[in-house]
Amino acid sequence: MTNITITIVVVLVAVGVIGGVLLFGGNGNSTSGSAVPAEVLRNEKSHTLSEAEDDKVTVVEFLDFQCPACAQYYQQAMKGIEEDYQGKINLVPRNFPVENIHPLAMPAARAAEAAGIQGKYTEMYHQIMDNYQSWAVAEDGQNVNSNVEQGEQAFEGFAKEIGLDMAKYRKDLESDQVTEQIEKDQEDAQEAGVEGTPTIFINGEQFEPGQGGDVAQQLRGKIDEALNE
Amino acid sequence: MTGVEPEVSQRAGSETDRGPLGRIIGWLYVIGGGIGLAAAAALLLEKITSLEDTGYVPSCDISPILSCGSVMVTPQAEAFGFPNPIIGVAGFAVLVTVGMVLLTGFRPPRWFWLGLQLGTTFGVVFIHWLIYQSLYEIGALCPYCMVVWAVTIPIFWYTTLHNLERGHFSSGGAGTVGSALVRFHSVALVVWFLVIVVLILQRFWTYWSGLF
Repeated sequence: MTNITITIVVVLVAVGVIGGVLLFGGNGNSTSGSAVPAEVLRNEKSHTLSEAEDDKVTVVEFLDFQCPACAQYYQQAMKGIEEDYQGKINLVPRNFPVENIHPLAMPAARAAEAAGIQGKYTEMYHQIMDNYQSWAVAEDGQNVNSNVEQGEQAFEGFAKEIGLDMAKYRKDLESDQVTEQIEKDQEDAQEAGVEGTPTIFINGEQFEPGQGGDVAQQLRGKIDEALNE
Repeated sequence: MTGVEPEVSQRAGSETDRGPLGRIIGWLYVIGGGIGLAAAAALLLEKITSLEDTGYVPSCDISPILSCGSVMVTPQAEAFGFPNPIIGVAGFAVLVTVGMVLLTGFRPPRWFWLGLQLGTTFGVVFIHWLIYQSLYEIGALCPYCMVVWAVTIPIFWYTTLHNLERGHFSSGGAGTVGSALVRFHSVALVVWFLVIVVLILQRFWTYWSGLF
């Protein structure tokens, strides 16, 4: 056989196999396309930014506080959704810090969880996200900040701002309780098939933004759809 | 033996149009280099725009997985202390120029081809490091970067085969393995691409399967 003939055969076989697996092969051990069990996405220790009495719609976001895409999602979509759907949906933020590229993601997650022990997770979450530019971005305005000490100082400032008991906050930052909470989130993220941040689930279905268009509108559309079912 | 024969022999031994690769490599440099140049320039423009406007969302931010923005802010995007696309703009511009010159019929000497081999080898090693970083460290794919990956591999591959075919690596010609690679040049290239495609599919399987 000639080079061209073999090449064409290899390409056709590859397209057939890969296309077939994508179309008919299911999702392997992933969960996209089928609902992730509710207990994987939310447990009794999970924080909520909004709670619905009817539990009809639950939106879970796995996030990394230093991830630029998460900050964009927050500004463009999640913050508005939290306000506009307050009391109508369960909005559950969970940790998925990607430490190898976001050095302050874990300290930020620990700060939020430590505030959560004093019942002020939501306040700390907003402090961290609203002030993203001040602590997450390096001085050049472009790259992510890798100065952990600087980040921790910023989080301490946020903790004072929201009125935490600072001695307890500092102690809780290093506590096993905080570590276990974050590890549990990471384990559940893995089980849910989370591979990047932000990853959002609406009633167990992973939200996949369509190409182009406004992500906030797409997300609201899916939430409205679930509310009207 | 006449005085003319050695000259003919020397010319034939260095550069002629024998073999299929001599004909395609000029076009490959022009077309592949042009595509790579366009992608690297687009990425550089996105970087400049995002420097001017910190709230700018790059046009290639399609989803959390397909995203230039997530990749551009990582240390890997400035592997040598400056944005990687600068290397692409410089390198691909050179390749386009070389391709055009080759199409005019210019036959470069051996040292010139070995220089191209050095440059394209650097390119292919660098993009494989970036592929690894994208898949297993950053966890996102930058569309413009993938265009650069897609053109760098065939440019390296055909430069290598060309040098093998012409015996630029040694005086002994292509050898058995080299001849087989030259003969089945596109099969090896397709297999190379398939390995990368499978790694990308496997790494982000949840995302891809969710699209169907």
